[in-house]
This record gives sequence, structure tokens and C-alpha cells, in this order.
Amino acid sequence: MPLQPWMKLLSTDDHLIEPPHLWTDRLPARYRQTGPRIVEKPRGEGQAPAEVWVYEDRIYPYIGLNAVAGKDPEEFGLEPTRYDEMIPGCYDPKARIRDMDLDGVWGALCFPSFPGFSGHVFLDGKDRELALLCVQAWNDFVLDEWCPTAPGRLVPLAIMPLWDVDACVAEIHRTAAKGAKAISFPENPAPRGLSSFHTDYWDPMFSAAEETDLPLCLHFGTSGRAPKTADEAPFAVTIALFGCNAMYATADLLFSPVLHKHPKLKIGLSEGGIGWIPYLLERSDGTWERHRFYQNVNQTVRPSELFHKHFHGCFIDDRFGVENRHHVGIDKITWECDYPHSDSYWPKSRAYAAEVLADVPDDEVHQIVELNTRRLYNLPA
Amino acid sequence: MNRLPESERSDWTDLDLLTREEAHGRLLAEIADTDVRLAGLGDGESDRAERELQQSRLRALREAADDLIDHSKKD
Repeated sequence: MPLQPWMKLLSTDDHLIEPPHLWTDRLPARYRQTGPRIVEKPRGEGQAPAEVWVYEDRIYPYIGLNAVAGKDPEEFGLEPTRYDEMIPGCYDPKARIRDMDLDGVWGALCFPSFPGFSGHVFLDGKDRELALLCVQAWNDFVLDEWCPTAPGRLVPLAIMPLWDVDACVAEIHRTAAKGAKAISFPENPAPRGLSSFHTDYWDPMFSAAEETDLPLCLHFGTSGRAPKTADEAPFAVTIALFGCNAMYATADLLFSPVLHKHPKLKIGLSEGGIGWIPYLLERSDGTWERHRFYQNVNQTVRPSELFHKHFHGCFIDDRFGVENRHHVGIDKITWECDYPHSDSYWPKSRAYAAEVLADVPDDEVHQIVELNTRRLYNLPA
Repeated sequence: MNRLPESERSDWTDLDLLTREEAHGRLLAEIADTDVRLAGLGDGESDRAERELQQSRLRALREAADDLIDHSKKD
């Protein structure tokens, strides 16, 4: 069995649900009535009220998810809308560790839920001072409460005040000093009305990420732009095309100035699989060979070289990608679990990983499930 | 108050949360699978370590399943 009992499974893409008092416990008194807080909303006769987030004057329904887009409204009722309808491992770090133990998973990098996977909900904030405090409060929760529950097992990820690059720089240095190991950033900032990777706007932030050796985690979906083909198309089309967002982000960065100006910047593609990588690199190199001469792209470094220097991908069940792992790059692959989402295999994640990796030599399995992640996120064994 | 359309703020994933019922069902299935694995183990020395491991896992799975049920009964 290539996945040996002593190998520690480290998931590079899990999620946490913010507990109800995360912000009210941390914001100054003057902001407790406008910062994110949980309120109850009637849900119909005979049903306990729903719990929803309110931030400034906006209601954000469905505390536990990002997940209702594309669903018929009648299906929404199936989703947990109260904390007591969720499994406690969503929001309680001790329960999370127990669920990870059941799952045979040693470590997990957890993305936000209410703030959006890259913290972009705080871009909605009318009061920028409050928004900054909200970002800092989420990071402090992760650094001071969530991760210290199991040091070395829960890996701290920081979100950024995306509306202000100087504030991002300050937050990177602040959180790095407190032990952050990664930064969540939109896979493409442009659709959110932010400067794109093809400008120099983010350079100070990327430099700060290099200085602190914190990788940028680009979770698919964080651009806010879904792969949708037609209004009438079933959501299955979008789900089937999720990996395309990781392809977009990769091509966007490979043909941007970012990686040429920031040679130490590390990128983790969070969710999206790995099977597409060899094709995209072949296609990108071909494009570069034929079309670089008349475009504002780097003229000396092939896109595939840049990819292998800067990127890591991850997978849950990409058997094609595993089969073609040498074309992806063994040292570029990490494993993910995606707890507590229903497409995770909990509580069989370890057994499932063993099945997917059954034909892979032990040393390569060890790299994929543990060592590459330790190197990317600077996690000592 | 404004209600921001979910489509404008969502990460639009298929990332439904595991519900308590789903999680409980998965735990029961895993308990059944573990029972089968235990029943298939022999009495020999070589199976002893695996038996202990599976028994310990079975206890943990049952505890977790009971906790989910207990919690919903309290509600």
C-alpha cells in the first residue's frame, strides 16, 4: 500500500465556518452593531428561525455556505441555516480535530466562508476602517484561536484588505509575524473591480509575500466569475467547468509580468484538480513560441518554466492527473480534503486517497500527500 | 435592509456543507464497513495490530455518530 500509515495527510484546501461571535468579540464597541453579527430571521411556521449574517446594512443569508448559487430555491431549505444544524467541526476547532482524526487527516489549511474564500466580502464595506478591522479580526481568530487549538495541524491562512495595497502589505507583515503561513487572494482580481495581474498595482503586496515567504492561495471561484454557458444551462455545466477557473488564473499569471518581477513568489492553486496542467503548459508554450514577438509578454522565459518554478496544484480525486503526475511535476502536486463540504470523502478521505494513489510509488505518494505541502507552506515536520 | 443577492457574493461553488444527517449517514456506513473489516481479520499475530487499530477507530466512529444524534435529540 503506497500510502503508508506513517505518512501525514496534509490538506491544502479545507474550510471553516466563522463562529457567531468572531467579530463581536473582537471589534471595538463602536463597531459591534455594524460589524458582522448573527441575527435570527423567521423561517416559516414550525421551524426554528434561520441565523444569518448582517454586516453594516446588508443581510448575507445562509451562514454556512457559499453554495446556494445555481440551486433552485426549494433546495435551499436542505442547507444548514443555523449553527445547531451544522456538524460542529465546521466552527469548533476541537471538533474539527476530532473529525480530522476520524478521517485520517493530520493537517488542514482552512479558507473563510462568510468573508468569501479570499475575504472579498469586506470589499462591500462602506466604512473602510470597519472593513479593515473585520479583516484583522478574522486573521486574529485564525491565528489566536482556531490554529492554536492544534499547532502544526491547523495551518493559518490570512485574508487581505483588498481595497488598499498598502494595507495589504501591512497585514502581510502583521500576520506573518504572528505565524501566518499563507495568503488567500482572488484567482483574478479584475472581475471584482480591482487592478488586474497585468498592472503594477499589486507589486508591493507581492514583494511583501516574497519577503515573508508566504504563498498566495488562489481558490477557484474567488474571481466571482463563474464558468456559465447560458442562462438555461444546468448548474452541472458550471460544476463540470470549475477547473477552468484554475486554468484561467494560471494562464493569466504566466503571461503577466508578476512572476518575472517577483521571482520568489509562490502560488498555490486551491481546488481545481491537476489533470489539465500538462495540456495548458503545452498550449501556453506553443502560444509563447509563436505569438510572443508582437505582444507585451516576456520574451525569454517559457511559461512552463515559470509554472514549475512558482505553482502548486491540488486534487481530491483527479485520477487522470495522478496518472499523468510526471507531466504535472511530482513536486508540484498537493492533496486536498475539502472538509466540511459535501464533496469531501469524510470520514473516508484517507482510504480514498490510498485508493487513488494505489499505483503510485511510496516516495511519490509521500511527496504528494505531505512533503510538497510542508515545503510550500513552511511547515516543519 | 438590503438583501444582497447571493449570486453577487457567492463563490458559486458546489460546496454544500455536510449536513448532520449526511454526516451521520456517512458515519454509520463507515461503522458498517469497519465491522466487516474486523470480521475478516484472523486470530493470528499479524492481524492483532490491525484489529486494535480498527477497534479503536470503531469506538471513535460510534462516539461521533452518537454525539450527532444526541445533539439533534436535544434540539
